[in-house]
Amino acid sequence: MERRGLDFVVLNQGNANLTDLYRTHIGDWPKFYKMDTLSKAGFVATELLLKNVGERRCDSEEFIRSRAIVLFGSTASLCADRNYQETIQDKDNYYPSPALFVYTLPNIVTGEIAIRNHWRGETSFYVLEEPDASQMAFHLACAFQDADTESILAGWVDSRMNDDFQVFVTLISREDAADTGWLAGQLQLMINNLNK
Amino acid sequence: MARLIRCIADNVVSPLGTTSRSNYDSVKAGRSGLARYESMGNITTPFVLSRVDRAVIDGLCAELGIQGNYTFFEKFLLCSSVQALRDAGIDASSERVLFIISTTKGNVSLLGQSQEGVDQERVLLAKAAREVMRFFGNPGKPIVVCNACISGVCAQIEAMRALRSGRYDYAVVIGADEQSPFIISGFLSFKAISDEPCRPFDKDRKGLNLGECAATVVLEASDGKKSGWELVCGAIRNDANHISGPSRTGEGSYLCLMEVLKECHRGELAFVNVHGTATAYNDEMESIALYRAGLIDVPVTGLKGYYGHTMGAAGIMESILSMYAVRDNTVLATRGYREQGTTYPVSVSSETRECNGSEFIKLLSGFGGSNAALLYRFVE
Amino acid sequence: MEELILKLKQEIIEVLNLEDVKPEDIDNDAPLFGEGLGLDSIDALELIVLMEKNYGIKLQDPAKGKEIFKSINVMADFIQKNRTR
Repeated sequence: MERRGLDFVVLNQGNANLTDLYRTHIGDWPKFYKMDTLSKAGFVATELLLKNVGERRCDSEEFIRSRAIVLFGSTASLCADRNYQETIQDKDNYYPSPALFVYTLPNIVTGEIAIRNHWRGETSFYVLEEPDASQMAFHLACAFQDADTESILAGWVDSRMNDDFQVFVTLISREDAADTGWLAGQLQLMINNLNK
Repeated sequence: MARLIRCIADNVVSPLGTTSRSNYDSVKAGRSGLARYESMGNITTPFVLSRVDRAVIDGLCAELGIQGNYTFFEKFLLCSSVQALRDAGIDASSERVLFIISTTKGNVSLLGQSQEGVDQERVLLAKAAREVMRFFGNPGKPIVVCNACISGVCAQIEAMRALRSGRYDYAVVIGADEQSPFIISGFLSFKAISDEPCRPFDKDRKGLNLGECAATVVLEASDGKKSGWELVCGAIRNDANHISGPSRTGEGSYLCLMEVLKECHRGELAFVNVHGTATAYNDEMESIALYRAGLIDVPVTGLKGYYGHTMGAAGIMESILSMYAVRDNTVLATRGYREQGTTYPVSVSSETRECNGSEFIKLLSGFGGSNAALLYRFVE
Repeated sequence: MEELILKLKQEIIEVLNLEDVKPEDIDNDAPLFGEGLGLDSIDALELIVLMEKNYGIKLQDPAKGKEIFKSINVMADFIQKNRTR
């Protein structure tokens, strides 16, 4: 019997407006408006995925400790870096912004998702040269070496400029990651959709 | 049985020395790299920083045969890794060798000022990592761990896992950050930087100092027990509380400690090397996590008073110095500490102490609610 | 003073990205932090930047912000007395 493919959500600036999606499908998390584009993209895609798969918020200690977040990207926080750099570049207009500075770390998007969902498992952000299905599958499989981790919210998220983004997210179980070749195939499908 | 992971070579380049040994000796002698700066670039607020002399790095590059159009950050990574790999005596160009870079901001200073002969794309972390791997002729795909201040511990955990998977025989874990006006101005805007040398865990602590360091560990996977430093286990956990403020309950750090304690022989635990940034919230949070994990009586030591917060290098350099300290039966003095300044009285001291035991825990926490810990054990 | 209060509210909404909040939603005497607007420690730091950038007031000690950011009225009053631009 053929194995059922992974559910995933893919969004990019060509086919999605993050603020519209937030207003239509989420709406109860005003912190969204404070996020940088990278975090907005990761946050909205995750919310939509959890809705699609019908996962309810679960606060059992066992569950929240078993859910990890592992995201990959190539630009990391470049967009936020540029925004922050603008606040310090000019001597006569030098007002470093703490609200922009905090997003100059790409793992903040993993933190935003963890806070929203109360997940206390591992959170990691890895920077790669490009979306590479086999490289990502390998490192995701490695993450399950942590015996407490039972599932991973995984994906790719990039943003070079404000309102420019490519993101996909999926949910991976321990069993899914055991077959690294199959997992890489699934990730490749998502990567193929990144720019569509 | 899981493959055993051993540290076979290490290096630290900092204002206190260009080898691990010279760094350890400097710290034990009480020397600090911290110095006060009145300004830098557009920054006009005074701050204390541990900064590497650029001429020392250039001299080291010449000595080690590192030539080419490299940024300071890339030179820094190379100065440390070339020395560690020379000591390891392995073929770094093999596909069985994994490179993992740990940094928070890499070449971000290129955004403020471009550099002749350096492609602007090297502001992308994996592109900078590629330059380092190219130097060694390594054919692999670059991977950079970018988990804020816990990156150095995460990079070692990821290396351990990759080695256990069987795909690699060696992992080269290199961490560094350049303290440009970008990072300094940001932490100043957070009102997190002290204009005096920092005072970890002290009641008068006023904030952190930033610092520059590059550090490398070379890890080897083996199927049988061998003498040396074994990386036993590690864990990464999130507070799920706030993106910049540490958890009031120390939840993530507590969970990390409980995880590594599963593998720890308590009688062999020499000390916990903490994050100890000397901000009000971080040190308080760590004291709560240590208390909750039942570690209140275990000696605690922090190195920020010697190095400042070295960001991407912190988890690696602080692990290496801990290895030297355990072998020397020493709990290094926590420079800057005077009087208890946390709710729970952790066992921290301004004096060097003697210790027994063959294991230590390295603990870190950072922005994004992230926390990480790992356990090293010396095997006779 | 009325004018300053309205301007201040608009600036706060913009700087802190309070997208769904209108100036009239902010009570002049209600605490800015705690309940209501859902502001956090980063917002407090950003208000310190706002005071410097728009009114030339430098606050070195973030703890002092706690008193000044008690309410819009308190904040406007402080700005009125200390502004340099």
